[in-house]
Amino acid sequence: MLSIAQLKRSVSDALKYLKTQKDVTEAEVFASANENLTVRLNYTSRIPSNGVEEPKSVESYGLGIRVALKGGDGVKTGFGSEPTNLSLEGVKKALEKARRGAVLDPEYVSLPKPTGEQPTLTKYHDPVLMSSKGGKLVQAGWASVNRALEVFQSSEELLGAAKSPDKVKELGLILGGDVVMLKERMAVGSFHFPSVQTDESTLIMSFATAMVEDHDAKGTGWGTSPSLSGFAGDSAAEAARSAIRAIGGQRVASGAYRVVLGPQAVAELLEWILMPGLNLNMFYAGASPFLGKMGKKVASEEVYLYDDGSAAGLAASKAITDEGVPTGRTEMIKDGVLKGALSNYYETQRILHDPKGKEKLGVEPSRVAQGIAPRNGFRTGRGGGRNFDSPPSITPTNLVLEGRRKRSTEELMRMVDDGLYIGRLWYTYPVNGITAADFSGTVVGDSYLIKGGRLAAPIKPNTLRLNDNILRVINSVLGIGHPPRGTVRWASDQVTWAPEVAVEGLRVEEIGEYMEGVYQR
Amino acid sequence: MPSKVSVDVLDKIRPKLRALVTESAKRLTGLQHCDVRMEFKEEKGAMSENGQPKASAEDVAFDFGVRVIAGGKTASPGYYGKILGPSDVKNIETVVWEGIEEAHRRARSSARQKAMARKQFGALAESFYAMGLAPVHISQDTIKPIFRDDPRSVPLDATVKMAVEGCQAAKGEGSSVVYAATSAVTSLIRELYVSSEGADIDYSYAQTEGFCIVIGSGKDGTVEIYDFTGHQRGWEVLTEGHNKGVISLKSFEEFCKELGKNAEELVKAPRLKPTEKEVVVVTDPHFNTLVAHEVVGHPSELDRALKFETAYAGRSWFFRDLKDNMIGKQVASPLVSAYSDPTVEGYGHYPYDHDGTPSRRAYHIRNGVFEEFLNSRQTAAVLGVEPNGSFRATESYLIPLIRMSNTVFAPGNRDPQEIIREVDKGYYVSGHRTPSIAESRENFRITAVKVYEIRNGELGQVYRDGGITSDTRDYFMSIDAVGNDFRMYPIPNCGKGQPMQAKRMSNGGPTMRGIARLTGGGN
Repeated sequence: MLSIAQLKRSVSDALKYLKTQKDVTEAEVFASANENLTVRLNYTSRIPSNGVEEPKSVESYGLGIRVALKGGDGVKTGFGSEPTNLSLEGVKKALEKARRGAVLDPEYVSLPKPTGEQPTLTKYHDPVLMSSKGGKLVQAGWASVNRALEVFQSSEELLGAAKSPDKVKELGLILGGDVVMLKERMAVGSFHFPSVQTDESTLIMSFATAMVEDHDAKGTGWGTSPSLSGFAGDSAAEAARSAIRAIGGQRVASGAYRVVLGPQAVAELLEWILMPGLNLNMFYAGASPFLGKMGKKVASEEVYLYDDGSAAGLAASKAITDEGVPTGRTEMIKDGVLKGALSNYYETQRILHDPKGKEKLGVEPSRVAQGIAPRNGFRTGRGGGRNFDSPPSITPTNLVLEGRRKRSTEELMRMVDDGLYIGRLWYTYPVNGITAADFSGTVVGDSYLIKGGRLAAPIKPNTLRLNDNILRVINSVLGIGHPPRGTVRWASDQVTWAPEVAVEGLRVEEIGEYMEGVYQR
Repeated sequence: MPSKVSVDVLDKIRPKLRALVTESAKRLTGLQHCDVRMEFKEEKGAMSENGQPKASAEDVAFDFGVRVIAGGKTASPGYYGKILGPSDVKNIETVVWEGIEEAHRRARSSARQKAMARKQFGALAESFYAMGLAPVHISQDTIKPIFRDDPRSVPLDATVKMAVEGCQAAKGEGSSVVYAATSAVTSLIRELYVSSEGADIDYSYAQTEGFCIVIGSGKDGTVEIYDFTGHQRGWEVLTEGHNKGVISLKSFEEFCKELGKNAEELVKAPRLKPTEKEVVVVTDPHFNTLVAHEVVGHPSELDRALKFETAYAGRSWFFRDLKDNMIGKQVASPLVSAYSDPTVEGYGHYPYDHDGTPSRRAYHIRNGVFEEFLNSRQTAAVLGVEPNGSFRATESYLIPLIRMSNTVFAPGNRDPQEIIREVDKGYYVSGHRTPSIAESRENFRITAVKVYEIRNGELGQVYRDGGITSDTRDYFMSIDAVGNDFRMYPIPNCGKGQPMQAKRMSNGGPTMRGIARLTGGGN
């Protein structure tokens, strides 16, 4: 993988060259090297399987250039990139592409400029993870598989269900999921910044699902960390234990219930349903359910939702964005009041200069400048990485939900008294569009009845569909737990720090009754 | 201006790759199989918002991926992928060989660990097997692209004009349309597939696609509508549309206008109230496109059925295990048939998959009986069936997965107007929007663009934010009429895999009638 020094030198040389180009009034150069090492897990006790299914990696490096060009009909802006060639020749090719594709965008203000803030994170990546290769990847995969098998093998419950050790495999044991190791290096510089800035980040994410299929029992485990140390396949073991605990699942009648949502379920609702409406570009487009509501109460007073890319020690932290601006905390909802939205430099500038900006936000944009500051301009894609061939879009980093009062799990359960614990949701989408805020999803595992304020019987997976509205949900919060847990979902580029949340009146519908008769145990 | 590298660069690379996998790779210890995929794409396109240009670009993408199976009695796979640049052309053999060696190391390392796990875990680990691939005819072939207007010859300015004018067309449909955004892209793609078995396939195709999203706002709320148009042809797909057989695509300008018109109409329409009980629903081909995709195509993917996707995309209610599954059993009304066919023209067309398997039609449901899963050589070997060529990656640096191709409900013989006329009281569900499907696809909720009341055989009031929900088997079994108006539509954004791969394909079907509950706004 290319070194930071090589990337920095390339950006520095590129800027020197760009300053000699008479038509270039502004320029930004971004160079990066990324490696995504992913190992997918697949173990099935009664179907032939590999255990470690896909030990794989994707490597990329290159540079991307954004320019503003003066011409006869005004300032045009363009983007061009070149893979695997950081030499002057590569810079010239990227510039030529940017020139060719440049367009006259009347809403363009400028390339990112210094905000006056300074990055607060230094040397936070894991050098061991940064230097790891394919061998560590395969090892991590088998560590996970073996941990799950140890749990299955030593389980008294499984032995009791199977009646003999040799028949445990006939229960239909399953382990799936992955371990993802991200290694990212970047350098960024522009005409507006005094020097070339660099950043290095590492992230290891692990997500596992286990089943005892004959008993329709499913469990999930996950973990995130910026460092490899201590990685031992815990999430696979957690998934196996959760699956075993879920044996004996029951059906639940349709209705509205008091519910404790677990971290996975909260992360699913935040990322798929709530957050799209809290990106500043959705306010611009008139497609946020929070249109015109800046400074107004939009949720329960308990709700404190923010994104913080600068938090030391959190898995998805980075020192600077992919636009060279320091990361920081953006408060979106505090004490239930809408305070801000996530943004990159272009969207922030656009709304600040938008004649309808006040109508769209509900206040003059300049009055909430801190709430819409460009702290989330990243070049994501390909399952992670800071990609040289993408212009910056808006991406969360560490998305955090906290409560004003920090409740324990036991307190939340007591608040609910009789209701449901929903551990994991799936395929949860805004079925009538972002603005309508309606959503639907299914309960797929890690879920329980709550009776008398305690967990009671497990709920059978895939037997409940949630149909509700996210605005109603965030206004029906009974309590928010503490601490939040770093949570990752399938194909997620971010980490959501999700607590348990108790909610009033969540609407669920019983589904799939015919499945009881389809297969015999 | 720097010299341009084009898809033609693969002419010289093809024999080098062949030599690497058929000669050099075979000397690697314990190697049982090696294949390399390489892709070169020339692409250009533009984006517009509210009728203003936002971006345009003309560029190439060049990448490769390797699969190795190695390791004797516990043979295991290893993979490697890399994004390349034109500057890699001169060293391509070295770059690819490094990838082959790394994939080989991973395969052997995993095979060793699999052997250790088998010893450690006894009966529980008996299912760890020596991975093999079901045999297929080993092909050598070259397939040229089909287009009238070569994507490579389209001026970049033309893509900007297309995006801008499409946006303006959408916005021009009424004052309720407060926002519109479009993109217009055209590409020429060339893929090489070579394997240690001697496969040598060179497949080129054109791909042109347009996207439009419209936001309409009125006193009763906001509507968001979006859709895609596209085909494996040249720029003419957007300038003129494409009308041939079951594919009927408007020009991009007309396509965008229609979305704007729908937004203008729907923003004034009331929100549909959900029903407690089931009602008669007639679903149009565009709506059935998403039904075919979500509750026929996806549960027919054999990797889901074999539990590979338990943590991600879910399993399949068509399959419990090798002895207990729905193959040969009734899953739908006898009027329902559904299949995947990559051999026909469509957005999911291809002649060979990324196992080198020649593509063919696979019937998933025939006269209501479940028949065949989409598979790969690896999964076909597990099930003991013939591979049907359904293993494809979106880019060659990513691993192929089992994907739909042109996956559809088969046509029936009823006149769709008659199907509606026969309904005293029911609803006509038109245009697909957003799905939410249960994990094994045993239940679904899919929203529509428009839902019309049917009274005495005639369409009446139109509603927005409506859709249908049902348990899948109940819905399939309720189908009592299938129309002769079969249509296929492009679906460019089917997500699967880790990292996620958003795949292009076609789905479709005719008008169909069944029973389901209505969903509406507010729930």
